[in-house]
Amino acid sequence: MRHRVTFLLACVLGAMVASGLAAADVKVIANPSVGAAAVSADELKGVFLVTKTSLGDGSHVEPVLEKGGPTHEAFIKEYLGKSDAALQTYYRSLVFTGKASMPKTVAVDAEVVAYVAKTKGAIGYVSAGANTAGVKVLDIR
Amino acid sequence: MKRTLPVAAIFLAAGSLYAQFDFKVAGRNVQLHSFASQGFAYSNDNNYLTMNTSSGSFALTDAGANISVQVNDKFRVGAQFYLRNVGNLGNFHPEVDWALGDYRFAPWFGIRVGKVKTTLGLYNDTQDLEFLHTWALLPQSAYPLDLRASTIAHTGGDFYGTIPVKKLGSLSYTMYGGSRIDDPRGGYYYGIKAVGAVAVNTNGNQIGGDLRWNTPLPGLLVGGSYLDSPLGAHITVEVAPTVVFPGSVSGAERTTVFYGEYKTGGLTLAGEYRRERLFGMESVPGILGEHFAWDERGWWASGAYRFSKRLELGSYYSRFFPSWADGDFDKPGNHLFDKTVTARLDLTTHWDLKIEGHFLDGYGSPTSFRGFYPQDNPTGFKPKTTMFLVRTGWNF
Repeated sequence: MRHRVTFLLACVLGAMVASGLAAADVKVIANPSVGAAAVSADELKGVFLVTKTSLGDGSHVEPVLEKGGPTHEAFIKEYLGKSDAALQTYYRSLVFTGKASMPKTVAVDAEVVAYVAKTKGAIGYVSAGANTAGVKVLDIR
Repeated sequence: MKRTLPVAAIFLAAGSLYAQFDFKVAGRNVQLHSFASQGFAYSNDNNYLTMNTSSGSFALTDAGANISVQVNDKFRVGAQFYLRNVGNLGNFHPEVDWALGDYRFAPWFGIRVGKVKTTLGLYNDTQDLEFLHTWALLPQSAYPLDLRASTIAHTGGDFYGTIPVKKLGSLSYTMYGGSRIDDPRGGYYYGIKAVGAVAVNTNGNQIGGDLRWNTPLPGLLVGGSYLDSPLGAHITVEVAPTVVFPGSVSGAERTTVFYGEYKTGGLTLAGEYRRERLFGMESVPGILGEHFAWDERGWWASGAYRFSKRLELGSYYSRFFPSWADGDFDKPGNHLFDKTVTARLDLTTHWDLKIEGHFLDGYGSPTSFRGFYPQDNPTGFKPKTTMFLVRTGWNF
């Protein structure tokens, strides 16, 4: 019985660790053309919900998202307050009513870093352990 | 054959372009997107929405495709084509759904010019996009399929923006004005035939606005919209075989909408109240000249819960009164209620299937053009209708 309880606790803790990637485990990165060294959570939300195309310092920005995965889930839950399905519905409602274009989406951290490094104004997110050579890491205020 | 060609063209174009829906031309980002849906409706008694639903009908098809180009950081242009066939409405006639240039000066101020989708209530601008909604058929008290063209878009312009209000969330506004091009294949033109008249021209101008408050409570949105549209229609009335008189309808149509939506976790709660006042003068020189004032009111409330990535279940209740002033709301000819239950299955991220039951009470007024038409029900209306609806949609 005790083994069963221990096993169940281990499973629950394991699941929490696996699914509970926190915002602290996500780095927000930007192309070096972006002047700001930090962004607020509200600015970040505005950029990724495409209501904001520039930051407080006037830098033009455009979002790039990951297609899925724990980093993506953690970022959109923490900063956008939406599930992936709700976010896709939101973007499609804009695209099919002529109100915005679909943001760029790539598959994995390395592709986000590569795209952000070569695209003026690009801003994205990667896991905390990702190699971010060629891009700048923004602080979240 | 003639009808199937445009649909086939849109499907083929969308399919062939799937692999390159996002590409660059002369250094500028170009995007292509499309959608299509097909439905089947079966009702026990009355025929609904101009379909032969009492025998089972597949005449519920629509499709659209758009292209947009990001010209520079602030300026974007794009256009969308749309066609539909809903029973005797639409007839697969392709139309420009929207075509606009959008210049965003700042988050709090932008301008759209061209043919622009009209922001009115929660879903007016997205009412054709079934894949965005839980329902196969939106509440008809607010989004009648037959009268889509009267509010769907205007040729003119919008001012829009979002203003942060510090700890109180943010306010999003849209103000617009322009001309409305009515649909000769829509419910008004179809329905007015039942009273011995033929609509010739119902185009007109419209101005309006929408203000929505994204409250500090995450997921809670409340708002209101107003639309003012001068009413002007030229008609012909057949007073006897081969004797046709010209006539006109003039006046105004004023629509007020209040709405709210709350989303948390997998739960979505939403509701809307809509009042439409139509008043003015109907005249057929030498025969008829009378003032009219109609007060149409409706509301709906819905709840939906997403159980998993693939399954969402929901229900809504919709009530519509074509003549509030009459007061006799028990008459099936003065109300149209709809209790709806839906299961939405997301087969992939781009393909959905909806199974929906409608339990309709009443049929509204024949001149409210809300789904029930005398010419589709020549033996008269039954007071209640049960309809089963299946709809599948695809988009990318």
